[in-house]
Amino acid sequence: MIRKPIPARWSLALGVLSVLVLLAVYTGLSLWQHHRNPEDTTIPTWSQLAVGVKQILEPSARDGQRWLVADGKATLIRLFLGLLCGIAGGIVLGLLMGCYPIIEALLVPPLSLLAKEPPTAMLAVFFVLVGTDTEMYVAMIAFGILPTLSQTVYLGVRDVPAELLDKASTLGASQIEIIWSIIARAIFPKIIDVVRLSIGPAMVYLIAAEMVCGDVGFGYRIRLQSRLLNMNVVYPYLAVLAAFGFTLDSALRLLQRYCCPWYVSGEK
Amino acid sequence: MPSVSSLSSDPSAAPASAPELDIVLECRDIHHGFGNKSVLYDINLRIVRGEIVGLVGPSGCGKSTLLRAIVGTHPPREGAVLVRAAGQTSPYAVEGPGPDRGIVYQRYALFPFLTALENVALGPLLHQTSIPFRLLRFPSWRRLRKRHLEEAAALLAKLKLGDAMHQYPHQMSGGMCQRVAIAQALIMKPEILLLDEPFGALDEATREELQRTLLTLYQENCAAKAAGLPPPAGTIIIVTHELSEALYVGDRVVGLSPYWDWKAEGFASCPGAAIVYDKVAPVYRPDQEKDYDSFVRQREEIRRVVFDSTYFPPRTENLTFWHDVRNGRGEGVLK
Amino acid sequence: MKQDHGKNVFIAAIALIAALCSGAALSAGAPTPSFSLAWSEYPSWSTFGVAHEIQLINGKKGALGPIEEKWGVDIELKEAEYDPCLVMYGSGKCDAACITNMDALNPSLTRPSVAILPNSTSFGADALIVTKDITDIKQLRGKKVYGLAKTVSEYCFVRNLELLGENEKDYVFTNMDPAAAALAMQQKQRGFDAIIVWNPFVLETLNRRKDVHVLFDSTSIPGEIIDMVVVAQASLDQPGGKAFALAVIDTYYAINRRLADPKTADETLIALGEKFSHLDLPSMRKVVRQTRFYSTPEEGLKILTSPSTQEIMKKVSAFCVSHEIVPKAPTIGFGDKAAAPNAAFRLDPTYIEEYLKQEKSK
Repeated sequence: MIRKPIPARWSLALGVLSVLVLLAVYTGLSLWQHHRNPEDTTIPTWSQLAVGVKQILEPSARDGQRWLVADGKATLIRLFLGLLCGIAGGIVLGLLMGCYPIIEALLVPPLSLLAKEPPTAMLAVFFVLVGTDTEMYVAMIAFGILPTLSQTVYLGVRDVPAELLDKASTLGASQIEIIWSIIARAIFPKIIDVVRLSIGPAMVYLIAAEMVCGDVGFGYRIRLQSRLLNMNVVYPYLAVLAAFGFTLDSALRLLQRYCCPWYVSGEK
Repeated sequence: MPSVSSLSSDPSAAPASAPELDIVLECRDIHHGFGNKSVLYDINLRIVRGEIVGLVGPSGCGKSTLLRAIVGTHPPREGAVLVRAAGQTSPYAVEGPGPDRGIVYQRYALFPFLTALENVALGPLLHQTSIPFRLLRFPSWRRLRKRHLEEAAALLAKLKLGDAMHQYPHQMSGGMCQRVAIAQALIMKPEILLLDEPFGALDEATREELQRTLLTLYQENCAAKAAGLPPPAGTIIIVTHELSEALYVGDRVVGLSPYWDWKAEGFASCPGAAIVYDKVAPVYRPDQEKDYDSFVRQREEIRRVVFDSTYFPPRTENLTFWHDVRNGRGEGVLK
Repeated sequence: MKQDHGKNVFIAAIALIAALCSGAALSAGAPTPSFSLAWSEYPSWSTFGVAHEIQLINGKKGALGPIEEKWGVDIELKEAEYDPCLVMYGSGKCDAACITNMDALNPSLTRPSVAILPNSTSFGADALIVTKDITDIKQLRGKKVYGLAKTVSEYCFVRNLELLGENEKDYVFTNMDPAAAALAMQQKQRGFDAIIVWNPFVLETLNRRKDVHVLFDSTSIPGEIIDMVVVAQASLDQPGGKAFALAVIDTYYAINRRLADPKTADETLIALGEKFSHLDLPSMRKVVRQTRFYSTPEEGLKILTSPSTQEIMKKVSAFCVSHEIVPKAPTIGFGDKAAAPNAAFRLDPTYIEEYLKQEKSK
């Protein structure tokens, strides 16, 4: 029974079914809540959600801004800048640690400590160090994902068999070429994997920081609208977040499949 | 330190007898070890251009260490590795790895992210170009790359891999991978090619097929030598724990062993493995039926001298290679 | 064979769960009705936490303290941050909550609510703190003023601007959590020249940074920001609902009597401080001044019945509409249910009156 394969059609049908069950459970929950209190806004009905979606997409009466556009722009810029800094830094540090024992001895202990530090708990520290503007969100995300990312890259580099590196040098590779043409290429799919895993935490850190400090952005809007009990706005925002994360993840998986055909179909 | 200069097998003892033999590689007074552990003791070895040398010894005796010392990734503690390029009169000491010495490992032979063709073309890429060249002079690089790929394709076709050129290593069998690995080393036209237990992980049939491939290369060397040309397949040292393989593929067998009479040389404990066996071996053509009986005696001899942990022969007793060659007992390129 | 075994285990598990559920249902049929009150740390609301601590009431569900015994009702205390309290109350996960008059309007639109007990009013507990070079409100024009948007902070800011004859549009109210804004100002961060926060952040900031001062605070709008206990109309209508309201009122005034009695005042204040940012006695004395308690039933009655409260509620409601805190203005009623049967939010003095009557008849 264990690991007995099921037909592909089944697994598709079961996937669709599970989503449908989820939607049905929500509908039931909402109906039940509205049966108890017809005015409820905390578990909105589908028509209430439609109103909320309209509110998100249309220019607001107060300042003419479309909420989703304004919040999405702010959050995306913060997220991508943070991811960019964290990923670039993590890869460079990981490569250096994996290649040079001096840097390894220097950086592995602090990074393993920092990897266990939740950056959301260090909000005040980021305040002191980089202020409260975009830099703070960027620093928070970068700092949050960098230790784990660099450690993964570092372990990946160490996993590259010594024989491959020796062979590359017998083939006339320079130090830079070994790092760039051999090690970086060998661990590239692993880097994509760890970037995929970093997106979740990065969004957690960003949303948490926005909830506290933001005056625009997803975290700000979700906290504010939760307090005002406008769950018909909050849930679509959450759905957009989930869809965004899923899309980014799928795009990276496609990139990995396209760039590293040798990896996806199994390692030797 | 006991002197080795008086050994009867040393070619220097008979300078006039082998002037026609072209020495490609010399290991001179190599001692090696890690920490307090001595691994290799006083290794002196001269390899004739075009040879296939089978290097045998008990497992863990230091065969791979010697190979790595020659490759240059783990330079010896003492002594030197000298290489003489074809047509040159004086040898040079090696410092670190270089394209003049190729290597094929038992595993991890190939770069997993490159196809067979790209794996073979990687050597010219790394050797002939640099990252700035590839980035800044893109058109020239493309033209050069095309030539590399053609060269690699031709070599793969020669090794009967024409159909698998665009496969990744994980898609190929172990035997195919080792062929690609050999092609990868050969494309650099190394002075010497080192094979570290290359067929150890393969099944019997594949192993024999690859052994015949080596013999084919050896025949090309013999033909080139007869025509007064440098050997196209270079010189090969193959490390193996299979005595039959060493005798079948090699024209010479070198045995490395820690079981030699070091007490006679004044040591209280073993100072490392030494070369205790060095003799010519029969030469087979690839189409020739493998006749085990013909090398049964030599195999038993090696087993006793090199592998028997209870028998400690004098170090120099079985180093008769140069003596044999001088007396015309060498075959193939040693003739 | 194996599958049959699995099936048996499955059936047994179902049976077990069913048994547990029915058992739970049986034990839930206990005679004392139970109601829940959500509260967050605030000087006048922490009284409920203190009442639990000194065992006047027992905040656990199913356990009764003396006041609960007296009224025959079980009060379940649910402590949470202020925002979750709002969400909990709005989504019907508790019967009553400690919230401000302003924040009560939004949930009352979907859950008709009754203010039964005014606890206190902000009298300096919300303050605009500025750096020393800012002495006039006009200097803040176009500058960012940090505070939590769409809360009493923004209300206090906007109302003070109104009183000073300023136009709200000239000012940039910027959202930030009060704890974060206070921290930023304490660290002298660039751009943080003005924050409007509530206690304990007002006290903290003034204590830790000596070169800042209060430009204005809620003393200029006395009685406009009212901290109160709000109960869902539906819960009051349930059997025991009225007893719950009376028990809550009784608890609150019991603690206030201890605060008034010189013998117990200090220890009660210290206990309150422990439930409010761990402030010490001198700080708590200041806090209690800035958060003016309606400490007697008479004072409470006065707030719930005075015409000025009606005016204030209109003002607050208008503010909530213009600042998109509520989608529409709720109908606000005063008096008992008969007096305002359709009101979404009703300020009802009859529970305190009933409490007084019962206390006097003893």
